[in-house]
Amino acid sequence: MNRRLSLTIVLVLGLALLTFLNLVGDWGRLSGGMANLGVFFRESLWPPDWSVLEAQSYPVCEARLEFTCSVAWLGMVETIKIAFVATVIGFVVALPLSVMAASNLSPIEIAVPTRILLAGMRSLPSIIWAVLFMIIFDMGTLAGICAMSFYTVGYLGKLQFESMEGIKNAPLEAAKAMGMTRTETAWLVAIPESANHLLSHLLFMFEYNVRHGTVIGLVGAGGIGLYINTYLKLAQYDKVVALLIVVFLVVVVIDFVSMALRSAVTEEGDVDRPAWSSLFLPSAISSAMHPTPMKKGGVDESE
Amino acid sequence: MSVLEEVLVHLHDVAIGYDVPLIEDINIEVVAGDVIAVLGPSGIGKTTLLRTIAGLVRPLDGDVELAVPSRGGLGYIPQRLGLIGNLTVRDNVEMGTRVGLSRWHLPFFPVPSTQRRHAERAMEDLGILSLADQPVRILSGGQQRRVATAKTVAQRPKLVLADEFLGELDDDNVEIVMKTVRQAIEAQNSAMIMVEHHEELAKQVANRIWRIKDGRLIEELVR
Repeated sequence: MNRRLSLTIVLVLGLALLTFLNLVGDWGRLSGGMANLGVFFRESLWPPDWSVLEAQSYPVCEARLEFTCSVAWLGMVETIKIAFVATVIGFVVALPLSVMAASNLSPIEIAVPTRILLAGMRSLPSIIWAVLFMIIFDMGTLAGICAMSFYTVGYLGKLQFESMEGIKNAPLEAAKAMGMTRTETAWLVAIPESANHLLSHLLFMFEYNVRHGTVIGLVGAGGIGLYINTYLKLAQYDKVVALLIVVFLVVVVIDFVSMALRSAVTEEGDVDRPAWSSLFLPSAISSAMHPTPMKKGGVDESE
Repeated sequence: MSVLEEVLVHLHDVAIGYDVPLIEDINIEVVAGDVIAVLGPSGIGKTTLLRTIAGLVRPLDGDVELAVPSRGGLGYIPQRLGLIGNLTVRDNVEMGTRVGLSRWHLPFFPVPSTQRRHAERAMEDLGILSLADQPVRILSGGQQRRVATAKTVAQRPKLVLADEFLGELDDDNVEIVMKTVRQAIEAQNSAMIMVEHHEELAKQVANRIWRIKDGRLIEELVR
């Protein structure tokens, strides 16, 4: 390794350590922290209170499966519904915006303001959007959907325009030489050419929104977060842990479904299929458990 | 050149290149019916010449005049073909026909039946109709070259610019492709400028040769 690079790395690490020490300040106040956490974990968090999976006493459950009247089920289903609607709305709005923001598809005078708009939508956390929309629509799912949709547009728009900027030049040049309009170039060239990435981002965003549903629910924007917030206020942390485990399991299931969907549009051999362990373990450990096989001779690409 | 010949391209005192001129003092005309092969070693400016005529690169000096419609009048087959790997052969070929429609025919709607027939005819002539519903990314290099040709033939442009589009094709397929392209050129009274590395092949298929040497374009008449 280059000496100057080594020195730079040491300097950056040293600076980070000094800044960390400066930020923490008095280390004495941390004494007994881990012991406190242990007590809190034993007395309040563990074991989880699985009564959240039982049917609520009110309203009376008339479903055949009582589980479907439980707090966990009702909250999770509502969170998934909010995340689904918000992801679809966000995708539909973000797609034209990302075409406008991509510098290889739009002139700079359109691309720059669009990027600023997307950055603005992204820079406000969804929890702030949720508060703003609750002022407009009152507490509930509508505020949650609007907040999540706004955040999704900002986030997805950025991921999408970066994918579109990464497509190969040859199809765009052929389209330009042929005299295709910008709309035709975007719809017939840029979007199909970056389709695998767009789908991957869309699925990631859905999973992100399901996870994030717990956060925006904390401010009353509906979903499982609303129940988590209630239990936090009542200091019923064991129920909070149970609901968080439910969220975790649902996210893992969504990850598996998303992996299967992505592999349907990705040609075998183009992209390595991730191993199941990569969902839970750091990549170094996971790749040691599942070494990547040698790639087969690829098919001819158009490029 | 007869006075009745339709001039499609006129380059007047043109210099091409990026920062430094690659070819200077280009004064040429392309008329309907021409099949022109551009020859020269790698990196000498053959592709830049095509890209300049296509309007993708500005000339460093001089004027490039094209007497073809701005929409659909020019068909361009880049060296890397410019196909959309995720779309089917049919979608790629039909894309060529879209520029024959109004700007207001939104791309979300399918092409009308006349354009669909043009695309089918081009695929049939190039022997790829059986692959119509296959995604382009799974095809071989030679098959993809026939798809790119079918797309341009279905487009029915007045001028075709092709950059080494016969590479990776075996002799039989070169014959099929050139026969189809020649028929299309005759039917549309159009012209073609192709960059080619193989001199023998170029002399077989072209009626004019542009040889690039020492920063100059030299015209050689084949027939």
